[in-house]
Amino acid sequence: MSRGIGNRTVWWWISLAAMVVMVVFLLYPLLTILTGSLGGGDRNGWAQLLADPRYLEAVRNTLVLAAAVTSLSVCLGVPLAYLASRYEFPGKSALALLPLIALVIPEVIAAQTWLMLVGNNGVVTRALRSVDIILPSFYGWPGLIVSLTFTYYAYVYISTLAAIRGFDVQLEEAARSLGTSPVRSRLKVLVPVIMPSVMAGALLVFTMVMGNFGTSSILGGKVRLLSVMTYQAAVAEGGADPVMQSTLASVAVGLIVIVLFLQRWILSRGRYQVVQGRNARPVPLSGRQGWLIGGAAGAVVIVSLMPLIMLVTGAFTVSRGPVMRWGEWTLANFERLLLTNPTPILNTLIYSAVATLIGIGISTLVSYMIVKKKNLFTPALDYLSTLPLALSGTAIGIGLAMSFNSGWLHLTGTGAIVVLAYVIRRLPFSMRSASSTLYNIPDSIEEASISLGVAPVPSFFKVVLPLMVPAIASAMVLTWAVTVSELSASIIVYSGGRETMPIQIYKLIDSNLMAQASAMGVLLLAVILVPIFVATKLFRVELFSSR
Amino acid sequence: MGIDIQKLGVAYGDHRVIDGLSLKIEPGSFFTLLGPSGCGKTTLLRTIAGFIDAAAGRILFGDKDVTGLPAHRRDIGMVFQDYALFPDKTVNDNVAYGLRARGQDGATIRRKVGEALERVGLGHLGQRHPAALSGGQRQRVALARALVIQPTVLLMDEPLSNLDAKLRVQVRDTITELQREAGITTVFVTHDQEEALAMSDRIGVMKSGRLEQVGTPSEIYRDSVSSYVADFVGAANTVEIDAPGAAQGMVTVGLGGHSISARVPAPLAGSRAVLIARPEDIALSPQGTGGANCVQGTVSRRQYLGGKTHYLIGIGADVALAVETHGDGHDRYMPGADVDLSFDPMKTLVLAS
Ligand SMILES: Nc1ncnc2c1ncn2[C@@H]1O[C@H](COP(=O)(O)OP(=O)(O)OP(=O)(O)O)[C@@H](O)[C@H]1O
Ligand SMILES: [Mg+2]
Repeated sequence: MSRGIGNRTVWWWISLAAMVVMVVFLLYPLLTILTGSLGGGDRNGWAQLLADPRYLEAVRNTLVLAAAVTSLSVCLGVPLAYLASRYEFPGKSALALLPLIALVIPEVIAAQTWLMLVGNNGVVTRALRSVDIILPSFYGWPGLIVSLTFTYYAYVYISTLAAIRGFDVQLEEAARSLGTSPVRSRLKVLVPVIMPSVMAGALLVFTMVMGNFGTSSILGGKVRLLSVMTYQAAVAEGGADPVMQSTLASVAVGLIVIVLFLQRWILSRGRYQVVQGRNARPVPLSGRQGWLIGGAAGAVVIVSLMPLIMLVTGAFTVSRGPVMRWGEWTLANFERLLLTNPTPILNTLIYSAVATLIGIGISTLVSYMIVKKKNLFTPALDYLSTLPLALSGTAIGIGLAMSFNSGWLHLTGTGAIVVLAYVIRRLPFSMRSASSTLYNIPDSIEEASISLGVAPVPSFFKVVLPLMVPAIASAMVLTWAVTVSELSASIIVYSGGRETMPIQIYKLIDSNLMAQASAMGVLLLAVILVPIFVATKLFRVELFSSR
Repeated sequence: MGIDIQKLGVAYGDHRVIDGLSLKIEPGSFFTLLGPSGCGKTTLLRTIAGFIDAAAGRILFGDKDVTGLPAHRRDIGMVFQDYALFPDKTVNDNVAYGLRARGQDGATIRRKVGEALERVGLGHLGQRHPAALSGGQRQRVALARALVIQPTVLLMDEPLSNLDAKLRVQVRDTITELQREAGITTVFVTHDQEEALAMSDRIGVMKSGRLEQVGTPSEIYRDSVSSYVADFVGAANTVEIDAPGAAQGMVTVGLGGHSISARVPAPLAGSRAVLIARPEDIALSPQGTGGANCVQGTVSRRQYLGGKTHYLIGIGADVALAVETHGDGHDRYMPGADVDLSFDPMKTLVLAS
């Protein structure tokens, strides 16, 4: 169509620009990783990988860990979601906290607090030792599985809960009226309907465990894991191994891509439908049954909350080096962080603020084009913007570090590369939040504005953007919350003086300075929670309305 | 200003939806595009508006070629099926939107907005948000918003179809009244034939991207050029018959073993044709009293509707005609009764099949 270009070009150019940005900052680093693995003279990375049993062991361990954590997360998350949606029992409102906990507590902090409880020097370990009970070491498999399960199961819980809530009780009643017993009819009808959501949550957990760096590195002990070995190849003292780091990062990318394709295949094969309808009215449970179920659910919530309790206690406890003097209180930990070296805090605030603004700006514009202004580029933009889901944080970090350490765009050593890592890592997340309401804004609104004489781009700003504001506000708060706690990509690209709070926490844990790490953790939580609190209470932003 | 569409072609990718369509709409007239779902009404309307590019042909508003002009510079008013009010703005601000875009001053805007809302009977609701209005009120606001800018042409895509039956008639009257008053050339899209007949100066009946017939409501209804049009506009009995000799004008055709006279408005082609007779144009009388131009049949179903009665009458073994009777004793025939059906030769058409 040659004519009437006038009302197309602007969006066309914007999408072209977005395309170029994505290719440079996303596709190019990915290709750098993949081609990097082929370097190394006559023995390229893949030959070395296959020759060394340590690498294959790491791959196997990573898969086993992901499978174990995923299964446990399903066992924990699904029943909990069923209880929360169908029954009313004492203390149920505590369950509503779960999504927030999952999103808010950085996993480094979770790992750290598990160590403070049951690590070699943990409170529980020592208490038991004093009565001659010796706990097995928490490092290695037990620590990894327990800590990661409690870090990630809430994702299964959230997606299952949404599915059960959207499930039409009439369906279930219809099945029951046909003569099957309540339990069997429930399973028969409910299971296929919520299956895709359970599956989606489970596979999300699977990919997150595979990409997990913080907990894996802190609690892994002697268990070799892919993400940790990749990290070590990238930052090893005495010379990184560029070929091996890109090979291992490629393996990580490949594994996640396989899982994501598996997910698509499963979902498409089942031809599942999203069922919408009347919500089930929760059945009140009381008496023994109520307390029993409430107690069980409460226990799970308390274990999920334990990191918080431990963290706050630790932050105000006197310490001498690695030794915690429980019961003696102090503010010295905070003083030291705030007075002697406030740089990580400032860095986190600045980098995250810039990254959130850039990320939300890009997401708003790109998701608008994907939903409302389809053209040649938008399908590619759609794919590219979800690509980071297939990249572990470590892989993103390595890709950026390798791509921008020289040449026309030299970013190594600047804060910009940390910001870039943040934006890319959280892009799918902010995209999804920003686009959530777009589907509810009819095209006709914009056309009405155009028909009244306002050009297309001004129309977007005058009538569409105001309607997106609630979604943008909540996307901003959520993106901020997940950005400030980013560790695995930033720890690879940062340079001296550019530490962020999570990096600092990681270093403090590594040096066994738990009290200071706790204090930094409390500050990090404040950085996450204060904006959430302000947004939801003062500005009435609804964080989870769109889910 | 009139609208002149010349050999227009529109395609979605490779899929041609409108092909070589030409149409002239008189200045100040109310033109309705009528047709079944998927025939291209919306596509044509949005191409006139400038939201879809023409792949071929030209569109003129008056003497001005607007084919290459983007929508926001075509000076159109548009009313949408889903109202498309700006939900975050008050009714006043919605109506003022187009005036502000035209840079008019505050006092003028306030006056015009007030007048426009008065005219649609919503003068008192200016401070409300669209969410606090009923469907009918919303569509009136949308109408005021489109008319207040005094556009060259007013385009409406099924503006009544989200309203319930009673409101539909009310808003329909408002639209007709305001359009007459403002004298704005209007293109109205609907698939409701009653709406089309009641509101329009002229109607264009569309069939898969082409205009099958363009004419006044009575031309469309009385002198349908095809069984497609006759069937779409009002109920019509259509019976496949053998084509009469190549004649045009009055002919004699066979129906259920009888011969009746009918009119052939346009030359026929081929050996088969269709006989078209509207239910209210067939008169019933007791057997043997039908006079000339009648056939015998048996009442197979009777449906009493108060002011009128619907019958289904079998003629021979395989033809059944719907008949509607009014006036005294319209309900007098019972199922099983033998009756004569009399046809008015002028209102009984034979068309190409
Ligand atoms: N965006 C599009 N892309 C491809 N094909 C389209 C698109 N919009 C409409 N079509 C096709 O063009 C044809 C005409 O569609 P159009 O919307 O103009 O029909 P309509 O007469 O308005 O129907 P309705 O009465 O249902 O609104 C249909 O076959 C439709 O499938
Ligand atoms: Mg339509």
